[in-house]
Amino acid sequence: MDQSAAISKTLENEENCTIVSFILVFLFVFRLVTSQVEVKIFIYKNRRMAITAEDVSLEDIIPISFDFAVAEGELLSCGSDITVRMSYQQEELNFKLPFGSHSRLFLSELNRAWSGKSYNNIKKVCKSPAVVPNFEWINKYQKNSKSLGVGKQVPAPLGTPLNKLSQQRKTGLFFIPEMTTCVHQFSQGITSREDRDELVRSSSHTPSNKAQILAMPQFGLRDNLIRCELLKNEEQYTYLEDFSFFLGTYNVNGQTPKESLRPWLSCTLNPPDVYCVGFQELDLSKEAFFFNDTPKEPEWTKAVSEALHPDATYALVKLVRLVGIMLILYVKKEHAEFISDVEAESVGTGIMGRMGNKGAVAIRFHFHNSNICVVNSHLAAHIEEYERRNQDFKDICARMEFHQLDNSRPPFTIIKHDVVFWIGDLNYRISNLDVKDVKELISKKDFEALHNYDQLKRQIDEEAVFVGFVEGEINFQPTYKYDTGSDTWDTSEKCRVPAWCDRILWKGKNITQQHYQSHMALKISDHKPVSSLLVTGRINSETYKKTFEEIVRNIDKLENECIPSVTLSKQEFHFKDVKYMQHQAETLTLYNDGQVPCQFEFIQKPNESTYCKSWLTANPHKGFIAQGGSVDIELEVFVNHMTAPNLNSGKEQIEDILVLHLERGKDYFISVSGNYLPSCYGTSLRLLCLMREPIHDMPPGTIETLTNGNDMNAENPLAIPKELWMMVDHLFRHAIKQEDIFQQPGLRSDFAEIRDCLDTGMPDSLPGSNHSVAEALLLFLDALPEPVVPYSFYQQCLDCCSNASHCEKVISMLPQCHQNVFNYLTAFLRELLKHTANNRLDVNILSTIFASLILKPPTKQDFAEKRKTQEFFYYFLNPESSTAQTSV
Amino acid sequence: MAKQYDVLFRLLLLGDSGVGKTCLLCRFTDNEFHPSHISTIGVDFKMKTLLIDGIKVRIQIWDTAGQERYQTITKQYYRRAQGIFLVYDITSERSFQHIMKWASDVDEYAPEKVQKILVGNKSDEVEKRQVATAQGIKLATAYGMDFFETSAFTNHNITETFTRLAEQVLAANKRDLDLLRISINDEINLAALEEEEGLRECAGGDQDKSCWC
Repeated sequence: MDQSAAISKTLENEENCTIVSFILVFLFVFRLVTSQVEVKIFIYKNRRMAITAEDVSLEDIIPISFDFAVAEGELLSCGSDITVRMSYQQEELNFKLPFGSHSRLFLSELNRAWSGKSYNNIKKVCKSPAVVPNFEWINKYQKNSKSLGVGKQVPAPLGTPLNKLSQQRKTGLFFIPEMTTCVHQFSQGITSREDRDELVRSSSHTPSNKAQILAMPQFGLRDNLIRCELLKNEEQYTYLEDFSFFLGTYNVNGQTPKESLRPWLSCTLNPPDVYCVGFQELDLSKEAFFFNDTPKEPEWTKAVSEALHPDATYALVKLVRLVGIMLILYVKKEHAEFISDVEAESVGTGIMGRMGNKGAVAIRFHFHNSNICVVNSHLAAHIEEYERRNQDFKDICARMEFHQLDNSRPPFTIIKHDVVFWIGDLNYRISNLDVKDVKELISKKDFEALHNYDQLKRQIDEEAVFVGFVEGEINFQPTYKYDTGSDTWDTSEKCRVPAWCDRILWKGKNITQQHYQSHMALKISDHKPVSSLLVTGRINSETYKKTFEEIVRNIDKLENECIPSVTLSKQEFHFKDVKYMQHQAETLTLYNDGQVPCQFEFIQKPNESTYCKSWLTANPHKGFIAQGGSVDIELEVFVNHMTAPNLNSGKEQIEDILVLHLERGKDYFISVSGNYLPSCYGTSLRLLCLMREPIHDMPPGTIETLTNGNDMNAENPLAIPKELWMMVDHLFRHAIKQEDIFQQPGLRSDFAEIRDCLDTGMPDSLPGSNHSVAEALLLFLDALPEPVVPYSFYQQCLDCCSNASHCEKVISMLPQCHQNVFNYLTAFLRELLKHTANNRLDVNILSTIFASLILKPPTKQDFAEKRKTQEFFYYFLNPESSTAQTSV
Repeated sequence: MAKQYDVLFRLLLLGDSGVGKTCLLCRFTDNEFHPSHISTIGVDFKMKTLLIDGIKVRIQIWDTAGQERYQTITKQYYRRAQGIFLVYDITSERSFQHIMKWASDVDEYAPEKVQKILVGNKSDEVEKRQVATAQGIKLATAYGMDFFETSAFTNHNITETFTRLAEQVLAANKRDLDLLRISINDEINLAALEEEEGLRECAGGDQDKSCWC
């Protein structure tokens, strides 16, 4: 069901719109429309299934421009809806697409348009900056939509009402979003639908789609493809004239087999492979009719088996009988093993439409690669009852059902078989011709002329019965009705018109008839038996298997080729001499060498909360690569105060493995390694006090040993870290009167030099400007794994912030090195405050800056707490106020 | 009757780096052999369709990085597998000894029902052989696994090995198989039915008789 026509009507012809995708889910319809280089999604709303243009109203238009983004949710399971999130400016639209090729097509087209926008067209736009997509052509739709608007009076301005849409969606309204895309070849004016379809088919997204659909078992596409390929290669594995089926039908008029059936059953030169022998009126007794029990069954079966071709041995496969209608299936012994799934059924069409005096029996079986069904029927009698006979045929076809081994599958009907042989006394007569004329034509052997009066031929010509069946040319005289025991036409009172009651028809491919004849020699009945030798092309299982495997292999290959794949410029990255707060980056280039566009993402490893260690980032960490396209990913290493402590102490290394996952494809591992140069930044005060040498001069392993508490110099630690002293001393000597000290930011390059200086040696003075040194000091305090006032004292400090002596008491309880640092820093700051006139600092500024570094909470801080930390710190910077407080 | 069932299994190739896991896979799926060794750094997979007992079995074969440093990551793929190839190189005693480690990792990380098979690859390199066939058989017997010596180079025992494991997985999952089966015909009939119903509903609710059908 196609609703696209309705939407087409709302679009202007000159836009050269092409419907690329069209989806129906709860009446959400998506469609791609192309127009020049500009790309948009049209969102339509409709009241009901869209039939005419009046049924839809334009709800919104989202341009696919630079601030547009689309993300596809993870497919929960094969067959589930696809969640798609589109964002445009500040708006987000979430919707679900039904699982299937239409949705795939839509998304791949959307992605193409989107990625095309961001990767290719940007260049074009950049060349002439004045040309920015203006989407002028959309204006007319906005006007048009007014007149079309059913649910909405005024079209929404571009880009604004997306949130509104989501609301309405919840209330169960329907939309038809529509999308335009930039496909250049479409812009020459395509008018007819056929042209469009052709373009759609030939457009480059098809292979991706094919691959995805191939992989979905519920579409059965794979099996259809295989079947299709098998058909194409049929001649490669089919032998013609390989299997001969002898079909015989005989209405025996309740007689017993008084003479040999050999003239009928052994009339072929070579022994046939399969015998299907059918009888009608085997027993006309009431017992047979009511109790379906007759001694004639074994009698005739014996007669048949004695009359089979003497040059071969046959196995009885199956016998089925309904009152007088009996069918026996024999197969040459050597073929027996290829017969399987044998089932027999019967359908009565006699009195009340059920009784077994008329009707059919059938045997179905699987032979090599074919499903074969043999039907023996005895249809309604009397010359005028041809319509009743047609009806019987239809009833038999409808009611004959074979159970399958697998009960969950629907039963097999006659017509579903590859080959159907239909034999029996079909009872169609010769009508509209006098007995005299009939007999004259027979005596002239003009069977062709006579055949024109045959009811069966006429009914078949009218397609009233046996549709799809074939009957061979009749070159024998009618088989009914003779005086029993003779070849004389019926001489009874009724003086029946001769008729070809007994017939053999077939349905199926690769079947040829070798003979079709009656057997006048048999005189037991008022009918003559009829036989036909049909030869079926059988499937050579060896070549069939080969062909099948070849096809499957090719399809597997196609499928494997369609697995997304990329090549990576490098899979191992080494970052040399990683330093604290020094950004390093390397480029990883992904090239899509697969046959389909692909979506990549760095995925989390188990037991890890992020896709990589926190000192590493990949930018972008996910994205889309068109077929043949490439993407550069920056792998960035940056060690900050969060990650430095463990790297300094050697607990962690610069080592990580990233897992790059392609959607529906493989995973790549990318190893990142590096050597980290430990720094005083991010090292604890305690450790720094224990280190008399610069941190880089420490023999490997020392830091780790010291961290674990096994320190040899423990008895003689430094009072404060020498690095801290160097910075403070530098500032004391050079920057005490520096204007805006601690307020003016330093230089990045200066910081790198200062850090290296502190980590490698002890020069007399530090490099860089005063502001840079001041900032380096602040960064040092910020990077401490445990602040100057350790976390465990934080709460205590807050509690006593209103009482100066209590504050001092808390500080006196700090570990020695922390206490020293605290006192040292506050003394320095007080010194700074003596020069307020020059450096323009005041106690508020300094307590704000330093409190946040020295008195840090382990978790987040609210504003009230922040005030308290400043209050606490205030006492130490302003001894006057502190004494004033204590004196009160 | 041609059965229209589809069953999908995941099989995983495990073993030391360089034993020939990727080559086994390429030989099996594409019938190709590339003599140069390029380490798989990641997890790759290919599809293959097999006909087993008239059941169309589609197998997804995962080829994993053998290098030790990736093992913490590759272990996470074990739990999705129904069958595992433990592959060693008959010219490398070391790779054979490591089978024990691989097997214990499988016990730890793979599902309980997982089927395993031991594969000694590079059987064509007779002169460099370090692991006797008997050793392989002995180890396989101890683990209760089937054992094959294969050569991706000469295409020896490749199809046999993959088919065998697929058969084992099929047998082990026989009970659940019916649930995994998808009858395409039924699927189509169902879809047609739903469509019809949908139309009927629409026709009922809509006055436009000409409709869209």
